[in-house]
Amino acid sequence: MQQYRAHLMLCGGTGCIASESLKVKEALSAEIKKRGLENEVNVVFTGCNGFCAEGPIMTVYPEGIFYERLTEKDIPFLVEEHLLKGRPVERLMYKEPEKRHAVPAMKDIPFFNLQVLRVLRNKGLIDPEKIEEYIARDGYMGAAKAFTEMTPAEIVTVVKDSGLRGRGGAGFPTGLKWELAGRVSSDTKYMLCNGDEGDPGAFMDRSVMEADPHSVIEGMIIGARAIGANKGVIYVRAEYPLAVQRLNLAIEQAHEAGLLGEDILGTGFNFDLSIYLGAGAFVCGEETALMRSIEGKRGMPIPRPPFPAQKGLWGKPSVLNNVETLAQIAPIILHGSDWYRSLGTEKSSGTKVFALTGAISNVGLVEVPMGIPLRTIINDIGGGVKGARKKGGRTFKAVQMGGPSGGCIPESLLDTPVTYEDIVQTGAIIGSGGMVVMDDSNCMVSMARFFLEFTADESCGKCPPCRIGTKVMLDMLNDITEGNGKESDIETLQDLCGDIISTSLCGLGQTAPNPVLTTIKYFREEYESHIKDKWCKAGVCRSLCTFIVDEKVCTGCGACQRACTQGAVTGEKKKPHEINQELCIQCRACYDACKFGSINIGPAAMREGLLKDTPAVSV
Amino acid sequence: MQKDINILVVDDEPVVINSCERVLREEGYNVHSAMRGKDAIHLMEENIYNLLLTDLKMPEMDGISLIEWTRKSKPSTGIVVITGYPSQQSIQDVLGLGCIDYVPKPFTPVMLTDVTYRALELAKKTPPLEDFPVGDFTPEMALELNSIINNYKNMPGNLIPVLQKAQEIVGYLPPEVQKQISSKLKVPVAEIHSVVSFYSFFTMKQRGKHLIRVCEGTACYVKRVSAVLDKLISELDVKVGEMTTDRKFSLESVRCLGACGLAPVMMIDQSTHGAMTPMKVVEVLDTYKQP
Repeated sequence: MQQYRAHLMLCGGTGCIASESLKVKEALSAEIKKRGLENEVNVVFTGCNGFCAEGPIMTVYPEGIFYERLTEKDIPFLVEEHLLKGRPVERLMYKEPEKRHAVPAMKDIPFFNLQVLRVLRNKGLIDPEKIEEYIARDGYMGAAKAFTEMTPAEIVTVVKDSGLRGRGGAGFPTGLKWELAGRVSSDTKYMLCNGDEGDPGAFMDRSVMEADPHSVIEGMIIGARAIGANKGVIYVRAEYPLAVQRLNLAIEQAHEAGLLGEDILGTGFNFDLSIYLGAGAFVCGEETALMRSIEGKRGMPIPRPPFPAQKGLWGKPSVLNNVETLAQIAPIILHGSDWYRSLGTEKSSGTKVFALTGAISNVGLVEVPMGIPLRTIINDIGGGVKGARKKGGRTFKAVQMGGPSGGCIPESLLDTPVTYEDIVQTGAIIGSGGMVVMDDSNCMVSMARFFLEFTADESCGKCPPCRIGTKVMLDMLNDITEGNGKESDIETLQDLCGDIISTSLCGLGQTAPNPVLTTIKYFREEYESHIKDKWCKAGVCRSLCTFIVDEKVCTGCGACQRACTQGAVTGEKKKPHEINQELCIQCRACYDACKFGSINIGPAAMREGLLKDTPAVSV
Repeated sequence: MQKDINILVVDDEPVVINSCERVLREEGYNVHSAMRGKDAIHLMEENIYNLLLTDLKMPEMDGISLIEWTRKSKPSTGIVVITGYPSQQSIQDVLGLGCIDYVPKPFTPVMLTDVTYRALELAKKTPPLEDFPVGDFTPEMALELNSIINNYKNMPGNLIPVLQKAQEIVGYLPPEVQKQISSKLKVPVAEIHSVVSFYSFFTMKQRGKHLIRVCEGTACYVKRVSAVLDKLISELDVKVGEMTTDRKFSLESVRCLGACGLAPVMMIDQSTHGAMTPMKVVEVLDTYKQP
C-alpha cells in the first residue's frame, strides 16, 4: 500500500461543491503533479465536513491544519508554502468571528471541538466512494458482530437498551419498533430507510448519505437481520443527486463484498437493497404515506392500526427508520448499549445531529450529546448571532426547531437542555434536527405565516381540518401581515389550532399549528403591534412599516443609496440622506445596507403622515 | 405604419377571411389568406409571416396539423387560433401546442385587433426556436418512452419511476404523455393524473432550456431569499412557475434544497449557487445567457 507523508482531505459535499471545490481539486492535482509530489501527497475528496458556510474546506493531515474558503488561485501558493516549505498558510485559516487571529488546527476551533461525533464519525476522514476506507474505520464490524455472534433477539435487546429513539422527528424508540416487526411472522418483510428529508432548513440526512453512505447500509443490514427482513428500500429525494449517486455506488460495493445479496457473510441470510426516488411531498415523511408512495400511489397517510410493523409496504410487515437513526446502529452493536447511554439523558440517550443555520456566525452541521443546553449550541458552537458584536449589531430573537411541525424558542428559554422531553415543554419539537436562528430583523408573525404557507401547501388533503384549517389560518395570518388584522384574530387562531391538532389523522396536521402557537405564546406583542398599531417593528411586512433616516446618526456614506433599487434615497456625500416615501417600496434594502443603524422603522401610519407632509411621529 | 407586418389568415369560410382582411388591412397590416391548409403551407414557404390566424376545423388538412407544421418549420411565426368551439379543453390543447391566443367566432373587429396586437407583441419577443430543445412530445420521444415502460412493466410500484423517466425525456408531463403511459401500463389516466398532481417533482408545464429553482426553505427565508427571487422575477420578466418568452429559463420555487449552509440558495439545472444576493443574480444569469 502506498504511504503518503501528507493527506489533504478536501470536502466534496454539496455545499463545498457549490463553492467550487471541484475546481480546487483540479488545481490541487495539477499543482501536486507539477511539483512532483504525487507519491508523497494524497488528495482525498471527502463527504460533507459540516462547516458548510466556510467552504470549500480542506484539512491537511497529519497536522490537522484547517483551511477554509479556498479558491483555485490559492492552490499554487498553498502547495509551495505548506507542502514544500512546511509553513502553514495563516491567511487561509479559520478566524474567530470579529477577532483577527487565525486558529490553525481543526481540533481548536470551537465549532468542532465541542462536538461529539458518532453519526458523523467518518466525516471528512474518508472517501465516501471507497468501501475500503469505511471498513478501515471499523466499518461493517457491527454487522459482522450482529451476524456471527448475536441472535436477532439479542440485537433487538441491545438497541432497546441503548435507548435510541427515531431521529426522524417523532422520537419513537427504535428497538421497540424492531421488536414489534420481529414478532410478526411473514414470508416477506421490509426494512426501509427514510431519506426523504423534507423539513425546510434541515440537511443532516443529506450529509450523512453523501459523506458516509455505508453507515446507513450497515444499519439497514443489522436491522434486516433483527426483524428478519429480506428486502430493503432506501427512499431518497430526487433533489439529492449526489446522495443518490453515492448510495448506488455503495450498494454496488457492498454487494461485491458479500455484505448484501445472498448468503451475507456466509450466514445464509439474504437481503436485497434498492433505492427509490421520492417525487417531493413533505407528507411522505409520515411512514404510511411513504409506503403508499413506494407503491406508486399518492402519498397519503392511512389510519393506524394496523401498524406498519404488522401491515406496511405491500401489506407486509415493515420497519421504517430515518437515515440518522440507521447510522447510529453499527456503533451501538459494536460498543454496546452502555457505551451509547454514556452520553445524553435517561430518556434521550446518545447524540443528535443538528443543522444549525440562519442568522448565526458558524453555519453548518453539528453533532452534540443530548441534554446540552441550547445556549451552548448557539453561542459556543455556533458563535452566536452573526454580526452581534458590531456596533448597533443584531441581537438574538428566537431559534426555530422542528421545522413546520416545530416552534420558536425565545432567548429566555435558551438554557433548556436539548432532549425530546424538555424541548416539547417549550412548544417546539426536536424534529429531524433543523435549528434555524433568527435575529431581531426577523418578524415572528411572518415566520408563522411562512410555515403555515408550507403546511397548507403540503397538506395531502385527506382530512378537512388540516386541509381547510391551515388555509383559513394562513388567510388570517396574511391579513395580519398586510395590515387587515382584527383584534379577535389571536384568539380565533388559538381556537383553530386546538381543533386542527385534535382532529387531524397524521403528524402533519397534528403539528402544523405549532409555529403559530409558539409565536403567539412568546411573541404575542408582535401580533398585537401588527394588529393594533399596524407596525411591523422588524420591517419585514411591507405594508406595516415606514423607513426613515435618523439624521443624527447618518454619516452620509451612501451605502443605502447604492442599495436602493427605486432611487428613493437621496442626499449628498457625508451629509444625512433622506428617503422619498413616494418612491419607497419598503424592501428594507437600505436598512440592511446601513452599517451605523441610522435607518429607523416606523409604523405604517407614519408614512401616510410623511406623504401628507404633516409632522412625522417620532419613533 | 404597420406596413412591414405580414399576417396570414386561414379559414374555410370566405366570410371570415373577408372580415379579417378588411379589419386588419384597416389597421395597416399586410394580409394574405388561404382557404385550405395546403395553400397556407405553400404561402408560408414563399413568404415570411409574423402571425398566422387559423381556423381549427377545415377540410383535408385541419388546423392542428397546420399549427404543428408551422411550429416545426416556421417557429418564428406567432399563431392565433380562430375557433367556433372554444371549449376549455380545446383551448388548452391549442395553447399546449404553442399557440399564443385564440379568437372565438363570431368576433367583433375590436376583439380581432386586440388579440392580433397582443400576439404580435409576444411573437416579437419570441426568437426562433431552432437552438432550444422544446419539450414538444415528438415521435422519437414516444418510442423512447415505450421502451422505458417495457423495462418497468412487471415491477410493482412502477408508476412513479416511469413518470420520472418520462419527465426526463420529454421535459414535462403533458396529457399525451400521461395517456400513453396509461394505455401501456393499463392504469387509468385519472390515477396517473392524481399522482402527477400530488408530487411537486412532476410538472405539466413546459420548461425552458434552463430550470432555475429558488430555495424557499426556512434558512433561506430567514436570510431573505425573497429579495433574490424578486430580482430574478424582474430580470427575467417571468412569474414563478413559468417560462421566459425566449424559452431560455423556467423559474420555480422549491421548499428546501438541503444546502442551508449556503443560504440563500438557488439551483440552475444541476448546479447549486449559494450565498445569493440580488447583485449576484445578474452575474450568475449572465453566465447562462451567453450562447
